[in-house]
Amino acid sequence: MLRYLLIRTVQTIIAVLAVATLIFLGLQMTGDPMENLAPQDMSEAQVEELRKAYGLDKPIHVQYVRFMEKLLEGNLGISFLSGEPALKLILERFPTTLNLVLVSMLIAVFFGLPMGVAAAIRADSWVDRTLRFLSVLGISAPTFWIGVMLILIFAVNLGWLPSSGLSSWKHYIMPAFTLSLYRIALFLRMVRSTMLDVLNQDFIRTARAKGLMERVVVYKHALRNALIPFITVAGLQFGALMAGAVVTEKIFAIPGMNRLALDALYSDDRPVIIAFIIVTAVLFAVVNLVVDLLYALIDPRVRYA
Amino acid sequence: MKRYWILAAFLLSLAFAAGDKLVIAYQGGAVTLDPHMRNETTTLSWQHHIFETPFFYNPQGKVVPVLAESIKNVDPNTWIMKIRKGVKFHDGSTMTAADVAFSIMRAATHPKSQMKAYVGKVSNVKIIDDYTVEIDTKVPDPLLPAHLDHAAIIPKAYFDKVGEEGFGKHPIGTGPYKFVEWLNADHLTLVRFEDYWGQKPDFKNVVLKNIPQGATRVAGLLSGEIDIAEKVLPQDFARVERSGRATVKQTPGVRVIYVAMDYWRKYGSEGLPAGAENPFLNPEARKAVYMAINEEAIVKKIMGGAATVAPQFLAKVHEGYSPNIHRFPYDPKAARKILEDLGYGDKDGDGWLELPTKDGKRVPFELRIDAPNDRYLNDAQIAQAIASMLRDIGIKASVNAVPKKVFFPNMTKGHFTLYMAGWGSMDSINTMFSMFHSKDPEGLYGRFNREHYHNPKVDALIEKAAQTFDPGQRNDLLVQAMDIAMPVDVAYVPLHYENVIAGVAKGVDFTPRPDEYLHAFEAKKK
Repeated sequence: MLRYLLIRTVQTIIAVLAVATLIFLGLQMTGDPMENLAPQDMSEAQVEELRKAYGLDKPIHVQYVRFMEKLLEGNLGISFLSGEPALKLILERFPTTLNLVLVSMLIAVFFGLPMGVAAAIRADSWVDRTLRFLSVLGISAPTFWIGVMLILIFAVNLGWLPSSGLSSWKHYIMPAFTLSLYRIALFLRMVRSTMLDVLNQDFIRTARAKGLMERVVVYKHALRNALIPFITVAGLQFGALMAGAVVTEKIFAIPGMNRLALDALYSDDRPVIIAFIIVTAVLFAVVNLVVDLLYALIDPRVRYA
Repeated sequence: MKRYWILAAFLLSLAFAAGDKLVIAYQGGAVTLDPHMRNETTTLSWQHHIFETPFFYNPQGKVVPVLAESIKNVDPNTWIMKIRKGVKFHDGSTMTAADVAFSIMRAATHPKSQMKAYVGKVSNVKIIDDYTVEIDTKVPDPLLPAHLDHAAIIPKAYFDKVGEEGFGKHPIGTGPYKFVEWLNADHLTLVRFEDYWGQKPDFKNVVLKNIPQGATRVAGLLSGEIDIAEKVLPQDFARVERSGRATVKQTPGVRVIYVAMDYWRKYGSEGLPAGAENPFLNPEARKAVYMAINEEAIVKKIMGGAATVAPQFLAKVHEGYSPNIHRFPYDPKAARKILEDLGYGDKDGDGWLELPTKDGKRVPFELRIDAPNDRYLNDAQIAQAIASMLRDIGIKASVNAVPKKVFFPNMTKGHFTLYMAGWGSMDSINTMFSMFHSKDPEGLYGRFNREHYHNPKVDALIEKAAQTFDPGQRNDLLVQAMDIAMPVDVAYVPLHYENVIAGVAKGVDFTPRPDEYLHAFEAKKK
């Protein structure tokens, strides 16, 4: 087990270095950062001075070597705009995004999983058909539209909920629902189809033949088997939300790291862009590891020795 | 009876407590609280609450002394500035010449200072006595007082003690508000500075917020969470007014939206058919484009009234605004006739005007209009409207609207034939040098004159104005230059000034500034 963890850690470090290299080179292709960094009214000589102060005057390979050296020390550079360490800016906002995503994922699992099971055990009943219809709506409604509609209804017309920020539990309701709607629908459909698959297998028939209670058959035998693909998808969705809740963070003015990264992208604040992508890469690696470990917990056949 | 009094007093105190707080929603947020490191409107707007500068523009566009008392220049490169007495920093220390000298030099020389476009000409600041400094410049700068609007004064002793990083974490200035707490680019909480030297602002507690989405800012305004919302979009005007909770305030801004044309390449201009002659070298052809554009309609239909028709490049609050310049009338028939008379008429009878090519053929007058689609209010739609107006006079125009990140680098490289962009600066000398002076090999002049507009008379007038210390004379010279560049040479086609727009809650009295800065201390209780 320890050996397994060690191998995974080394793999993650290699992946992060590869990602960092790709991003560094990719950003070079997006043009001259001074176009966006330097104020329009500076003279060319003044822009060059500024370029030098940011260390962008050196040849690319020199910049790259310096960047990698610092990266190995865990230093992701100083934000061009704010003068603060890029990693600190990202980590300052990491908990905000994490909280929002955790709440959204909880809601999504809480509703999506039971609804999926319910739809599967009553396949083709009116319950199943209604849920399937609603799930299509949930999957196709754009996040942007849901967010704005929620604000219009609950903040402007009814005045029940605050429209922006994330400072109390009330602030969480609208953005968390906006983010979870798609996931509820996704989990519902996913659990339904895997459950149907499992429920048709031989060991379920055997379990039923043994005279087990239907509840035990469904939840202990069938669901446990259906959970493996579900956990994979849920893990990926968690990662995707952490790095992709940008529209929701923007609409609800939530100070999360996605919005920071978007602003950094617009203003070519490269250290912040790189820090964001590295944090996300590490996060994905950790989530994948946790998912793999969960497999072992749920399915006793899986061993990491 | 007594109980009612207590209740009444309690309710009254609640009302006052609520009325003492002002929340402003901006479209962006300050990225740093170090006042010399980022020259960008929202960042400076937030910083202006904490820091002040020796001089600043008032809402009418006049430069007025703030931390300075007076200034006079003894010779072209030397100024003597008297400093206001009795000004306190937020830590209780008194502002003196040492703080002023230190701050101006930091803005002028720090490697990462973004204020060099303003104070980069300063070579030295000498302390004469506690309340007098001598400012030396490398080259004469008649606009130095105005340029000091970007030199925020910070306390030297405190800065030396806490260092650059510590200062950014807890900034101290002389402004009407003190720093309480902030999250970079998200929000800034402030409290009124009770020892402020000037008129104390009405609101004791202020929160400046970054709410990037227009719909969310309006929602906050209507639900009462926000008192002033910046940049309310025209489609939301009616909703705000109908709500009865807030109203929309507009001021014509200093940002002009304009159309520029390539006047330096006879052949090979990228927006025209390959090999076709570029008609815009001729001012008459530029005038035809001008006359084909129905700007009144653009302001009304596309801008929803959130803009003001621009008769010229500079705005009324600017130095050099000419009373002699008026718009050419909108007259598509006359516009087409001008182009026909220049030899671009429709010979093959397909309805489109034609351009001669290098090898003596004629091709349809196709034209690509370039514009950004995420920089100015309704930018892509304006470009579309211009395209359809040009099609009406027989130019086969199409629009290439792209994100600003793609647009501006291409504009700098001169890849366009006819494009739409905007320009906003309080400093007319800077505007004239950047946009109207011909390009010089050293890149000092005409840096944004990518179309290579060139008129020696205009160049001479701008250079002379830039050396003139007398404001009246300087204004006259700039007006003379503009009177040539706009109506005679048609250097640019001005479209409109973007209005500066704010949604203001009913209990607050506030009018937006033309320069787009938004300050809580300019808001009053009603």
